[in-house]
Amino acid sequence: MKPRIAFRTGLWAAQMLAVLALLVPAREARAQFGDFLKKAADKAQKAQKALQPMTLEEEREVGREVAAKLVAFFRLYKDDALTRYVNLVGATVAAQSERQDVAYHFAVLDSDDINAFSAPGGYIFITRGAVALCEDESELAGVLAHEVGHVAGKHVLKIVERDKALRSGMEEAQAYAPGSAYLHKMSRGVLVKLIDQGLAPSDEYDADQRGIKYAHAAGYPADGLARFLTKLDQATQQGGKSFWTRTHPPVQDRNARLQQTIAAQHWEDADRPKLADRFAAETQKVKPKAGA
Amino acid sequence: MKPILRLFSLLVLGALLMALATSWGQEQTGSQQDQDKTQKEQQKKKKKSGFFSGLKAITGESSEQQEVTATAGSKTVGEGEQIGNAQPTAADRQAVTAMENYSIPEKDVKKFQDDGQLKPQQ
Repeated sequence: MKPRIAFRTGLWAAQMLAVLALLVPAREARAQFGDFLKKAADKAQKAQKALQPMTLEEEREVGREVAAKLVAFFRLYKDDALTRYVNLVGATVAAQSERQDVAYHFAVLDSDDINAFSAPGGYIFITRGAVALCEDESELAGVLAHEVGHVAGKHVLKIVERDKALRSGMEEAQAYAPGSAYLHKMSRGVLVKLIDQGLAPSDEYDADQRGIKYAHAAGYPADGLARFLTKLDQATQQGGKSFWTRTHPPVQDRNARLQQTIAAQHWEDADRPKLADRFAAETQKVKPKAGA
Repeated sequence: MKPILRLFSLLVLGALLMALATSWGQEQTGSQQDQDKTQKEQQKKKKKSGFFSGLKAITGESSEQQEVTATAGSKTVGEGEQIGNAQPTAADRQAVTAMENYSIPEKDVKKFQDDGQLKPQQ
């Protein structure tokens, strides 16, 4: 063998070995890079999903969790006749809501507090104390219609969706399973917002406007909510417990807006039924006894 | 071809085969490790939720229930966080399901409206 040929062959073999030596780690690096790309794509997909509006099923699961927490804390007021009555009034006003893709469910919470809550997915609660403060069915209809207005306006749902976007990284496959850590955090956030911080004043005004529209369309006098709010203001000034006056815009301001709408719409419904007698008969169990 | 060149070519071929074999072996080990990892994760998940959560659902007993203090009488609105931290029991969830399933026939709603002389728009 000539030295020149031997040198060329040796060089070729050395090059081959060097390429082979490089190939093995390159495969690992490629695999790692592939993993990195896959993870990045997964994260981007999750973030994109979190920015999308919630599905009805997701909304229902969050609402169900909020409802379960309210029931766990307060307990339901177990009176079949009152539950039926509240559901009849609720169904009457909810039928007028623009939002009919959710089923509205109504229940009474066993609490002296004067409050009402609505959770995503159509879960609406009124406390025994709030029912007792009403003087007739049109006031009860006004309060329930206001809560239906929150569901129809998706006011709480918007908070949930913002929260969902913030928590996009935490989303898991089982995120919407009842009792999951994700739902617990989400529903706790909703309750803190509802009770401690309150919704945006614009959302409250919107729910008021929707509420009187539903009550009026259902056949009740439209000012039931305004009359209830006046009584609520008086009750809290006398020491009654309610976060409604703490987290909601001032009653005078709300009532002024309600009266403006009623006047602008020419809703002259003074002769409409307030149904005080039927209300008294259906709610006598929760009404404080005279002299008590 | 001279014998030394032949020997050299054989050496190179051998090295090539060895490198390929090593690379293939590493891939096999890698995929085996991935499989082991997936199996371990699945076992972990099973331990965490699968079996026991099913049992909880059947018996209705859970640690959640133990955390709840039974109270008599009416509660008032505390801080939102306090209510938010409430741990619903199986019975509470059942109450919500009952609330969902509660429905009043349309004709009863209609009668209720007629009795009250309400004239709904729709």
